[in-house]
Amino acid sequence: MRSKKKIIITSVICLGMAALAYFAWLFPFYEFTSNDFGTGIEKLMSAEYLYTLTPLFIIIALATTGIILVIFIRKFLAKTDKNRSRAAQVRMGRLKGDSPKQKKSLFMIIRWAAMIIFTFMMIWGGLIFGLKMSSLSIPVLSCPWNTEQMTESSCYYLSHLNELFELPIQNIILFFGSTIAFTLLLGRAICGFLCPMGLIQDITDKIRQKTKIEGIKMNDKMYETLTPIKWCMALIFTGLCFAGGNFCNFCPAVAVSPILAGMSTSLYVSGFLMILVLMGGFFKRRAFCTICPLGTVMGFFHKISLFRVKKDCQSCTECGACYEACPMGIKMIYTEREKTDVTHANCIMCGECVKCCPEDNALSLTFAGKKIYTSSRKKIMSGYEEVRNYYDGKSNS
Amino acid sequence: MMAKATLKERQDKRFINKETQTAAKYLRRLEELSGAPDDIEPFYNALKRIYVDMKSVETENKTIGTYCVMTPPELIYAAGAVPVKLCSGNYTAFSIGDDIAPRDACPLVKAIAGFKQTGLMPVYEDCSMMVIPITCDCKKKIAGMLADKFNTVTLHIPAKRDDIDIEMFTDQLYDLMEKLEDVTGNAVTYESLSEGFRKVGYAQYELSEFIRLKKQMPYLIRGSHAMAILNAASYMPADVWGKALHKVNKSLEKNIAEKKTVTSKKLPRILLTGSPIVFPNIKIPLLIEEMGGIVAGDETCMGERGMWDPAVITDNSFDGMMRALANRSLRPCPCPTFADNSQRIYRLKQLIKENRIQGVIYHVLRGCLVYDFEYKRIEEELGKLDIPVIRLESDYNEEDIEQLRIRIEAFIELIKLKQAPERITTVRKSF
Ligand code: SF4
Ligand code: SF4
Ligand code: SF4
Ligand code: SF4
Ligand code: SF4
Repeated sequence: MRSKKKIIITSVICLGMAALAYFAWLFPFYEFTSNDFGTGIEKLMSAEYLYTLTPLFIIIALATTGIILVIFIRKFLAKTDKNRSRAAQVRMGRLKGDSPKQKKSLFMIIRWAAMIIFTFMMIWGGLIFGLKMSSLSIPVLSCPWNTEQMTESSCYYLSHLNELFELPIQNIILFFGSTIAFTLLLGRAICGFLCPMGLIQDITDKIRQKTKIEGIKMNDKMYETLTPIKWCMALIFTGLCFAGGNFCNFCPAVAVSPILAGMSTSLYVSGFLMILVLMGGFFKRRAFCTICPLGTVMGFFHKISLFRVKKDCQSCTECGACYEACPMGIKMIYTEREKTDVTHANCIMCGECVKCCPEDNALSLTFAGKKIYTSSRKKIMSGYEEVRNYYDGKSNS
Repeated sequence: MMAKATLKERQDKRFINKETQTAAKYLRRLEELSGAPDDIEPFYNALKRIYVDMKSVETENKTIGTYCVMTPPELIYAAGAVPVKLCSGNYTAFSIGDDIAPRDACPLVKAIAGFKQTGLMPVYEDCSMMVIPITCDCKKKIAGMLADKFNTVTLHIPAKRDDIDIEMFTDQLYDLMEKLEDVTGNAVTYESLSEGFRKVGYAQYELSEFIRLKKQMPYLIRGSHAMAILNAASYMPADVWGKALHKVNKSLEKNIAEKKTVTSKKLPRILLTGSPIVFPNIKIPLLIEEMGGIVAGDETCMGERGMWDPAVITDNSFDGMMRALANRSLRPCPCPTFADNSQRIYRLKQLIKENRIQGVIYHVLRGCLVYDFEYKRIEEELGKLDIPVIRLESDYNEEDIEQLRIRIEAFIELIKLKQAPERITTVRKSF
């Protein structure tokens, strides 16, 4: 009975999403009188740039309001809940102090640096350095409506396959060649290391972690319900063009790169979705990535890409820390007890699981067979080293 | 009336005499065992303080009694109290509890019942509250018994470890948190919880270091001594314990530099697993090492296993920390209370590999069903690795010592027969 209800609800959501995507152009979020895709360094310096940024400001303002509203409602609900009220006050209150943290690892620094540099290049790179690589396509969600970005992004033609086949043959070959090459070479490490949408969601999560606001703890059931939605998204992404729709009016990514590059771009459902992406990304790390269609497409190649997550099952204590840490909710990484390769189609190579694994060598990220990041007890406990030093100093005096 | 009072007094006196004598005897045997590291005294002293001097834990704060490894000490420190583990190995208390608890109850629980009955152990009597995770039927019933004398809280331990179970356990921890606040009068805040994490985390930091050193070959420390150190953690505040262990670690490091090891002989390396081994019931590790073996691996909950797993904070909110505690309490725990506990077998295999174990002694306390249940499967699995296993059943008294001695001796001989002839590898300098 319950599963029947579930199926109905999921199908309604999926159909609703498809309809929304199809009629996306009917729901303007912010319309410029005319879309001006001309841009240049001078424009970025002028006051006109601020005008182009208007939709982005609105999005950020609304998302922030939304987040604050959610926090307040939650606080209110918790206060009125008699069973929980006392603990809730601590949980929801302003939290002082610092929890113990392990030392920053080189891997994480590189990952953040890569995301920031790449995002910068994808937005302003073409304007500053010229369009040297723009014939290559890389599968990231950095909107190619920004014609000045460093490389082309595969998402446009993947969501407009009908247009793709009207292109000259060498363009098609170049498109598929570079997209597939990047996917094989990097796999979904693109998500963890390059994608600007990923960076945005990582930043919102960082803000939450810094403010110590409670997030939404996902569990396996919730991830399960998201799976059909994810597939539906992928279907809309690739199929909408054949039905005469335009995925770009539905895609939240359009609200980032072109606008930041100084192009006045009218937003339709995309704008509303971007607010949800920001809010979702705030309360649940990489919320959008769990249903991102481009990620799903890249996930098809997870068996052969060169980035891999490896597990030494002998060393694992099934402590579940990796699963708790994984932004994509990959459970198999903690339950697996036989295979050494635990790369999952959803894995974005973010390395969180490795970072949080307390057993030496139990988890590692590898590239072409070489370990680039390995779990270690010492690293996990490094946050407590200062306590030791503190005691050491104390006992000496 | 008068006569009755003196009778009780006499009984109490006899109890104290017997109890302190046994504890002192086992401490002496530990001290007599060769190869103890320098700076082990603080741990002996902690055990002595509780069982020989009959005092409570050395702290100004309130103490909270806990059982099993599922009660997160971090939370208790956060409420400004100090946890003491009350799982007991006491023979004298056992003999009293024998008349209270049913015949088939395990001795650990009988000893707890005995302590409660006599009301003479400060470490029990001083507890402001007791937290009892319900890990087996014995624990469930003893929780009920304790409740008519102490302020108790029970924690329901689920049979599985799915996400929903972790969520429910987190809720229980919130309840526990409120009760702790009531008892101590201190509010648990983000800051104090972080402090709790630091205290326990530091102790675990030193423990990780200690276990790394313990794995060194040739051996730097004996299993019995390590067990005494780990047992003492129950009766020392985590930071004090950590600091003391820091000294031991330093002296072990020094021993490496000076090539000072426990012995130059090749001792049969034995892994001890099964029911809890709690001071002063340390006859089995002592017997193993007195008979010429070495307890190289230890997978018991008052030993290495109990404190090994750190709570990993994956979310920086208050709830994230509570969740980290719930996750750590259940998921990595190889306690047979869980329906599917195959992870214990992996853990054993890992210990066998890391410590190059030659034989496994599976300890079962009489009446401890959950551990006894898992014996067959483990025997089977280890048989595949060609590791000999024996099951040793024991009780909380000294009557079975001779029998245990014979079996352990035979087991050690068996391992010796299997291994290459003994050869002196390094010159013995000390001990
Ligand atoms: S709107 Fe989305 S799908 Fe369309 S080109 Fe931009 S990023 Fe790609
Ligand atoms: S899954 Fe996330 S990181 Fe990957 S392409 Fe989609 S938005 Fe970008
Ligand atoms: S499995 Fe590990 S690397 Fe992959 S997404 Fe999860 S945490 Fe990131
Ligand atoms: S964090 Fe490491 S030890 Fe824990 S379950 Fe994951 S792989 Fe195993
Ligand atoms: S697990 Fe075993 S030793 Fe522990 S209380 Fe239960 S029966 Fe007794």
